[in-house]
Amino acid sequence: MAFAYFLGCIMNNRYPGIEKATRIMMENLDIELKDMEGASCCPAPGVFGSFDLTTWAAVAARNITIAEDMGADVMTECNGCFGTLFETNHLLREDEEQKEKINKILAEAGREFKGEVNVRHFAEILYNDVGIAKLSEKVTNPLNLNVAVHYGCHFLKPSAEINIDNALKPTILDELVEATGAKSIPYKDKLMCCGAGGGLRSRDLDVTLDYTKEKLDNMTDAGVDAIVNVCPFCHLQFDVGQTEVNKKYGTNFGIPVFHLAQLYGLSMGLKPEDLTVDAHQVCVDSALEKCSLEDIENLDKITGGE
Amino acid sequence: MKQLKRLKNMLLGEEKQKETDEQVQQSESEIETKSKETVTPKSEIENRETDPKQEQNESKEAEQGLEPASPKLIKEEPKEAEEKVLKVPKKVEEKPKTTRSDSMTLLEGRDAETITRAEIDVNFKQAVIDAGAETLSLCFQCGTCTGACPSGRRTPYRVRTVIRRALMGFKDDLISDDSLWMCSTCYECQERCPRGIKIVDIVKIARNYAAQAGYMAKAHKMTGSYVIKTGHGVPINDATKALRKRVGLNELPPTTHEFPEALEEVRTILKATKFDNLIGYNWETGELE
Repeated sequence: MAFAYFLGCIMNNRYPGIEKATRIMMENLDIELKDMEGASCCPAPGVFGSFDLTTWAAVAARNITIAEDMGADVMTECNGCFGTLFETNHLLREDEEQKEKINKILAEAGREFKGEVNVRHFAEILYNDVGIAKLSEKVTNPLNLNVAVHYGCHFLKPSAEINIDNALKPTILDELVEATGAKSIPYKDKLMCCGAGGGLRSRDLDVTLDYTKEKLDNMTDAGVDAIVNVCPFCHLQFDVGQTEVNKKYGTNFGIPVFHLAQLYGLSMGLKPEDLTVDAHQVCVDSALEKCSLEDIENLDKITGGE
Repeated sequence: MKQLKRLKNMLLGEEKQKETDEQVQQSESEIETKSKETVTPKSEIENRETDPKQEQNESKEAEQGLEPASPKLIKEEPKEAEEKVLKVPKKVEEKPKTTRSDSMTLLEGRDAETITRAEIDVNFKQAVIDAGAETLSLCFQCGTCTGACPSGRRTPYRVRTVIRRALMGFKDDLISDDSLWMCSTCYECQERCPRGIKIVDIVKIARNYAAQAGYMAKAHKMTGSYVIKTGHGVPINDATKALRKRVGLNELPPTTHEFPEALEEVRTILKATKFDNLIGYNWETGELE
């Protein structure tokens, strides 16, 4: 099994531990990740989708053509990138007129969208192609954690097109999290947005933080040890955003945040510093201690957040 | 909302009532006589707007030598005329408050809130549909979308009115509305829409029109400019380079960051779609205009 590995922006340019964890984990699972050389921003759905849908689809289509040249399906572990690439792929495959229009633009850059590959989300590949049973076998360090699972928005929605799981009552991530030994704790409005998407974080941080605080309040009420997400932008929002919420509201939230790849890294025995969790804005030591992981003293903070 | 606004106006009007009582007595007779004139305030404003031009023409004539002795006075005249013009709409707005006690208060300000045909863009609905939202006309205004909206719980954003305004052709009202940008595109509305309307697509199409009309946040344009400059909306920084190196990854990811020729492809596309013009990107300075 091989995938064209789409990096995006926030993961590789802010939280490289997610990328590192993914590369090691996939090797461990005998899945080859091929670099999509010269790929760009997906582009960001909030800004590009809102400003000009044609530009959005054209830049996205260019990224997809790189995978087409490699003859491999795209794998991304960012909900925003997944939304942009999946929707563009879907649109251009369904709508011949749109495809022609975009290909006219791509021709200027010497590229052509053919519609030959699929766009897949990392979590969905783990669930459907690897399977919970095989994943459980690979867990060497079962994690004693109570986890607030955060699905984010563009992993399952719009469900009519994406069709991975029931968007209103999903279980896919909870099952994936529990395969590591952690426990997925139900909490109020679990499927609510983190508040960062749609260009909202850069346009009006106060509104975004109001979303995030509501999520953090509900997670705290449920008594969780950590937040697990499948999107570097949600990840950034819960990590950096959590410190911003504390500053704005005078609160004292300190819930460690892990991308699913980092959680699997911990459960497969990777060192915390290889996952760059020490560079998170919100200290993760409480979660690591609960998992009886060593090396905590060796971690020193490096600024990593946006 | 409109009723709330009216109530608010009423309440504010009452508070101001005492303060302005004296003024009212002074100006009531004036307003009564003026009210006939202000039945069609627009035309009156237009008429008045022509005044300064005429006066300017006059002043030009004056400058040309008819009255060379007092150029300062002549230059000030148009300014005074402009001030008069600016005051006119204010008086029109104040009218309902001052005559409040004599009329049905709930009807106050109704003229200002009445939608006229002039505000409707008859082609807008079809334009939104043609841009990819065929489902737009299925909306029957049930409000399920707004009920599901996490933004609507904390901002003035009301998804239902976005759809309604798109359907009715209230283009300017919709695209100039700041709350259009309070949507985090979470799809909760779309998942629950009993008519299967692609609501988020409609929001984005409306935002595309807003962007074309210049309603763009600086921060969003900056993200766009980063993609033009580096290929990434969030480009790499030194701290992350150090982190990448520490965990054994290449300092630069194998993206446009590492491949300049790939960045040129992206730039070619952004020029072809005129995205650079849209956000006002200056290729020479690398800044936004």
